[in-house]
Parts: sequence; structure tokens; C-alpha cells
Amino acid sequence: MDTDQAPFLTTSTQGIDMIEGDITLPSNRTNSNELSTLDEPVLDTIKRDLGAVLRKFGYAVVPRHSSTLLQQWDLWGPLILVTTLAILLQSNATKSSAGAQFAEVFTLMLIGSIAVTVNSQLLGGKISFFQSVCVLGYCLLPLLLSAFVNNILLYIPTKSTISILHIIRFLVVMAAYAWTMYASVQFLGKTQQPNRRMLVLYPIFLFYFLIAWLIILHAHPK
Amino acid sequence: MFSNDGFLTGKASSSNSGQTHVFTSFPNSAVDPEDEHFGDQSSDTDKLVLPLPATAADAKPEQSYVWQIEYYQKYFQIDTQQVLERLAASVTPRPNKSYFDSTIRQNPDLYGPFWVCVTFIVTVGISGNIVNYFHLPDAEFQIDFSRITLSAILVCLYWWLMPTFIYFFFRWRLNRIEYTFLELLCLYGYSLAIFIPVSVLWIIPINWLQWTLTFIASLVSGSVLVVTFWPTINSDHKRLSAISMLVVLLAHLLMAVCIMFVFFHISDSNINPKSVTTLATTTLSSTSTLTATTISTTTVTPKAV
Repeated sequence: MDTDQAPFLTTSTQGIDMIEGDITLPSNRTNSNELSTLDEPVLDTIKRDLGAVLRKFGYAVVPRHSSTLLQQWDLWGPLILVTTLAILLQSNATKSSAGAQFAEVFTLMLIGSIAVTVNSQLLGGKISFFQSVCVLGYCLLPLLLSAFVNNILLYIPTKSTISILHIIRFLVVMAAYAWTMYASVQFLGKTQQPNRRMLVLYPIFLFYFLIAWLIILHAHPK
Repeated sequence: MFSNDGFLTGKASSSNSGQTHVFTSFPNSAVDPEDEHFGDQSSDTDKLVLPLPATAADAKPEQSYVWQIEYYQKYFQIDTQQVLERLAASVTPRPNKSYFDSTIRQNPDLYGPFWVCVTFIVTVGISGNIVNYFHLPDAEFQIDFSRITLSAILVCLYWWLMPTFIYFFFRWRLNRIEYTFLELLCLYGYSLAIFIPVSVLWIIPINWLQWTLTFIASLVSGSVLVVTFWPTINSDHKRLSAISMLVVLLAHLLMAVCIMFVFFHISDSNINPKSVTTLATTTLSSTSTLTATTISTTTVTPKAV
């Protein structure tokens, strides 16, 4: 045996040296906690996820610059919002067409989100697909609130085609639409270079306009 | 080879001293993106190479595939200012200067045409809904998605089929590719831009106004198309060039008229079909009685005279 291998061999005669360490990449806190959350009680998991969702709702309603909405995206909020909106927008539903109406709203939301996201990626935005869907879904909250208000206002009977109630409903939905646009511009506008920002924001404008339009046109549920 | 504390050093006393062994036959997923030796790999294995991750610092930019977003990004290299310029130029026919050569030819894009089509379909759908909303009582109103899908299919087919025809026409006639398919798509997409404000104006239920709007809009955007194609087609047989330009204009007009009729039918179809037939029969009967009475009076009066 070579003499320069001797130190290696001598240490090995004392037993194998255990090498300890972490092969995992340096990760942020959530990754390293992933394994440990398997053992926690279910209520803790639910509380934590629910807290995250509610916090994101807060960010959507009062838009302030924070990376939480983008970095830790989740799709629970969008799912809840879209489903609630689709249920609220059912009107004059016969037994057979109720499912179709729900599906129409849901499909519109889905295809709209996909189109907006793909568009922003194609224009060179640095945002991933699910992050964008997450932001678009969460920013829907003001429109959902206006749909609630709309539904309540619809219970007040009115005789004429255009009455003051129609105007109030229209204004409420338009205000919610402006709020939604402001929130999503705060989040999604920053991800794009300035000379293409309007190109990315225009499809978002169209998408939310369609949804606001569906809410305005919602007639009285029979 | 091994130093005193057990770690490998560069110094080795064996016969392998001084040589660094470079591994060349490793899978590409094992490549360290910062490794400068990677570029030495032979390029004939390019087809088998997996694309580098997007975060790779010196990734080869050309290697993108059909299923990747980056493949399509080259069709979207456009700024806001350019889109606005092209939109403005698509409604102003200028016989001397073809806007195509000055704007689109260097950089055809798909953003403008696609979103112009989508906006067109959306405004047609919304305007049709508004027309319905005023014709029906509040309780019976429903948003009809079937008309919207119909108009969407019509517009998208027009946007794709006309460039296909023109592309093959030029190819057959001139035996060269004067305009690439992408440029034609771009041209036709932007030419639909004028119909967006027109579709809002189509809500006004005055018959002659709707027809006038249709004619003017299709004439304006059709003439932009004709002006663009004219230098190419002019070198050809005079009659054929005139006929082909006329066909372009007529196709444009036909599309506009179809959309307008789908509009009209949007306004009629959500009304109870029974009422449509009663409406039709009452108008028919009233006109027939009117004509009958006029004929009878005209026949009667000479007799009276």
C-alpha cells in the first residue's frame, strides 16, 4: 500500500467515519417544514392553510406591496371565489339549465385566467402560470362582494326597465371592478417591463370586464 | 494523492499526477450551468440534448421546442407603442405609403390580431346582450352563450381562412412567397379593429344606420387591405388583379354583414318564438292587407272616376 494512502487507511481501522450532513438544498422555511407537517394534528394544518388564505384575501382587498401573494401561491382562494360567484350568478334556472349556467361561468373564469396568464408569459413576464392564476383569482374578491350586494338589491321590487336601483347596481359593480383592476395592477403590473405593461394589463381589463358584465346582467333568481 | 488530513489534493505521487480527468459522457441533467467546459461538447448531439433549465446563465437561446412557451415568444416581440401605431394605421388607407411595409414587415406579431379578434367577439356579445336586455322584461332575460360561440367561430375562421387563401393565391400566381403567412395573419387581424367601435354603434336600432355603418367600416378596412396588396398584384394581369381585389373587399363586407345579421337574430331569438311568428304573421298580414287595400282603392278609384 502506498504511503500516502496510509493516513486514510489508518483512520479507517478505527472504524468507519460517519459523515453527517444535509444533502438537501438550502431552502426556505416552508420547504424544510414540509416533512414535519405530516405529524401535526389536522386542525393545525387547516388553521394554518385557512390563515394563509385569509391573509391573501386581505392583500387582495387592501392591495399593498407584498410578495406573499406571489411567492406562496395557492389555489384555494380562487376556487372558493369562483365557485361562490358561479352559484350566485345562477338565475331563472330551470332544472336542466342550472348545471349549464354554473359550468358557463366556471369555464369562462378558467379559460380567461389561462388566456391572461399565457399572454403575460408570452410577452416575457417573469411570472409562473399558477402564480398568475392565484393572483387573478384572489383579486376577484371585490367583484364577489358586489355580486352579494347586487343579489340583495334585487329583492327590492321595481317596476320600470331602468330605475334608480339599476343605476345603483351598475355603479356598485363598476366600483368593485375598478377596485379589482387596481389590486391586480398592483400585483401583476410590476412583473412586466414598462414598455409592455399596457399590453399585459389589457387582457386582465377585458377578463374582469366580462365578469363584471355577467354580474350586472344577473337577473332575479326565481 | 491524499494529504495528511485525508482530503484529496492536486498533488499526487502516482502516475496519474498532473492530469485532470474531464468527464464527457455524462447525461446533460448533471451539467452544472456555471461549468465553462460544457461548451466544448460536440454539437452533433444537439438533437438529443435536453433543453437547459431556464435559469441557466449561459443557456443556448435558440433551442426551444413546440411545447415550450419560449418557442412562441418570438411572435410576441412587440411594445405598446407599436401596437397602437398598427391599430391606427389599419384604419387609415394611404395609397402612397403602405403601412405594411413600414410597420408590420419588420416584426409581425400575433398579440395584436389575437386580442383584436377577442375584443371584437366580446363587444359583439355584450352589445347583443344589451339589445336583448331592452327588448325583454327583466325576469326573462338570460345570457345566451350559443350566439357568442357562433360569432366567435365565424370571426376566427375569417381571420385564419382569408390569409390562407391569399397566401396560396400569391404562391400559385406569382410563384414566390411575397408575404409570409404570419404577416398576412397580422394584417387581417388588425383590419378587424375598426369593427370594435362599430359593433358598439350597432346597438342603435335604426336600420339604415346599421347598414351604413357596415358598409363604411368594411370599405375602410377593406381598402387598407387592398392598398397593401396592390403593389404586388399590380404587376399581374389587369383584370385578374381587379377581380382579386374585389374579392377581398367583398369577403370583408360579407363577414361584416354576417355579424350584423347574427346581431339581428340575437335580438329576435331570445324573444319567445311564438311571438316571433305572430310578429311575422301580423306584419305579413298587415302589409298584405295594406297592399290589397291600396290595390283595391286604386282599382276602385279609376272606376269611380
